Amino acid sequence: MTTTPAPSSIPALPDEAIAVRIRNLNYFFGQGELRKQVLFDINLDLPKGEIVIMTGPSGSGKTTLLTLIGALRTVPDGSLKVLGRDIVGMGRSQLVDVRRNIGFIFQAHNLFDSLSAAQNVEMAVELAPNWREKRRQAVAILTQLGLSDRVDYKPKALSGGQKQRVAIARALVNQPPLILADEPTAALDKKSGRDVVTLMQQLAKSEGRTILMVTHDNRILDVADRIVTMVDGRLDSDENLGHFVDTHDPKTLDRRMFIL
Amino acid sequence: MMRLRTPLAWFNLTYERRRLVTALAGVAFAVLLMFMFRGFENALFDSQVQLLKLLNGEVVMVNRLKYSMFIPEQFARRRLYQAQAFAGVEDAYAFYITNANWKNPETQAVRPLRVLAFNPDDPVLPLPEILAHRDQLKLPWTVMIDERSRPEVGPTTAGLETELAETRVRLVGAYALGTDFAAGDGNVVMSDQNFLRLFSSLGPDEDSRDLNTVDIGLLRLSDDANPVAVVDALRQALPQDISIYTKDEFVAVELTYWRENTAIGFVFTLLTTMSFAVGVILVYQILYTDVSDHWKEYATLKAMGYTNFYLLKVVLQQALILGVLGFVPGYFISLVLYRLTANATGLLIQMTLERGLNLLIATVIMCLISGAIAVRKVQTTDPAEVFGS
Repeated sequence: MTTTPAPSSIPALPDEAIAVRIRNLNYFFGQGELRKQVLFDINLDLPKGEIVIMTGPSGSGKTTLLTLIGALRTVPDGSLKVLGRDIVGMGRSQLVDVRRNIGFIFQAHNLFDSLSAAQNVEMAVELAPNWREKRRQAVAILTQLGLSDRVDYKPKALSGGQKQRVAIARALVNQPPLILADEPTAALDKKSGRDVVTLMQQLAKSEGRTILMVTHDNRILDVADRIVTMVDGRLDSDENLGHFVDTHDPKTLDRRMFIL
Repeated sequence: MMRLRTPLAWFNLTYERRRLVTALAGVAFAVLLMFMFRGFENALFDSQVQLLKLLNGEVVMVNRLKYSMFIPEQFARRRLYQAQAFAGVEDAYAFYITNANWKNPETQAVRPLRVLAFNPDDPVLPLPEILAHRDQLKLPWTVMIDERSRPEVGPTTAGLETELAETRVRLVGAYALGTDFAAGDGNVVMSDQNFLRLFSSLGPDEDSRDLNTVDIGLLRLSDDANPVAVVDALRQALPQDISIYTKDEFVAVELTYWRENTAIGFVFTLLTTMSFAVGVILVYQILYTDVSDHWKEYATLKAMGYTNFYLLKVVLQQALILGVLGFVPGYFISLVLYRLTANATGLLIQMTLERGLNLLIATVIMCLISGAIAVRKVQTTDPAEVFGS
């Protein structure tokens, strides 16, 4: 197992350059006798503008960590700074406020069947203080994602890849500085999955967004600046792409997959 | 259009047409049930006082013992003459009531009817048909019958001859009034002279009637007189064997009797409440299904930064739309059923603006309660659960 520390991260970067900073984060599920620790002493920095992919076996706590960073759970312990705000001990309404600056992309598209593609995107625009031009903004981002001719289609009339692109448009339309994606390609075929990820990469690079993506999909690892691996609730490795590829040659990777 | 927020509630509700129609039918049914039960209750009460409301006079005088129209107690006619001496009293009419058996001219079956008698020269019961037949009513052995009596009374064509109180009488016309609990199967109207002819010498087992004892006394006041003041003056000056009311008080006393001494009010309030509860459950079911079908989308909205309050608003808007849209068909079907019921029973079942509005408010409250229960499902939705599933 590689435990080589990542070359870039732990040496302290100034706060302004960091989108997410996690220190000594522990997290438990359940109460009393059933209380079970799922995250152990996590330390992680996500610098601005980076695409970070998080992998690891099922049940290793990836999604839990993602939801904590996404301000979807209250954090009792440790230090978790998202976009400059420490969300440890925040109440629910403050968490809602933090979430408005984060774009979420899920495994399922979670679009309202009753709303057209543009209307689904407009639901996100309406959260922003300046939403009067919502239709224009929605059409602009859908065009950017190659859906200009599907703007007024209902989700039922769209293909899986198109629906996921609408969901991405919804996550990106407010230009959030941080984007969290959970298996965004899991429900897509190879080509649509590739397209979706490439789009996300282009947007991140051209507009300086930070993306944290949980995935099992080996085909898309190449878009990442860094790859973080979690095992059993601990950060197992944190390395740049070249290093990851070196240490995870196909044979090793295959064996790992059998073991887990 | 660009400047409005997306009406998510409306889109979600109208997206599946068939489900919407089913939902509206459910709401309409609950509305219909409430309208019918309220309608019957009001009809029973309204019917009891419809005759009293028609009587012409601002002040009413009855025997002190007569606490309901059921009670056959009379008072001395001279009280009416005494009352006429008071300032503001223009005229006094005597109104006689008794019960008598009516023979259906077709089937010869005998039914009890209520007899209403007064001097046809006085506008005591100013129904247009009665005023038009004043002269015929003055002829001996003539009567008019209520065409909205129970069907057992038989044909009501003018010119028919039949028996009332085992005496031959001739029908000279019909008027429209309606029945109530005290009226038996209907009301028959005649002149005070014919009343005397028919009921002054009954057999030894029955109490014969004459014109010296009056069932209801009616005082017509001059235009500038204040009924309350006149009633006060009369109450102080006249002997204690009579009760004196303004007409509104008289109607209220009768209604209070029916409300407080019968189970009508209780039974129908219970039935209406049950319909309300059925409506709450129906609408809850509809909204809950919608919320559970869309919980992932709603949870996504929460993850994106929508508050619980926003989701509460969406569900309550859906409830409100269902309530208002479902009320409309419920209202119109009720109007039709009211008409059919009135024709079938002769009861005075009527829709008033106030009753319609009251039930509209009740329907809206019904839907809001359902919405408030259903929304708890969204409120407790943990947006973190959308991840990883």
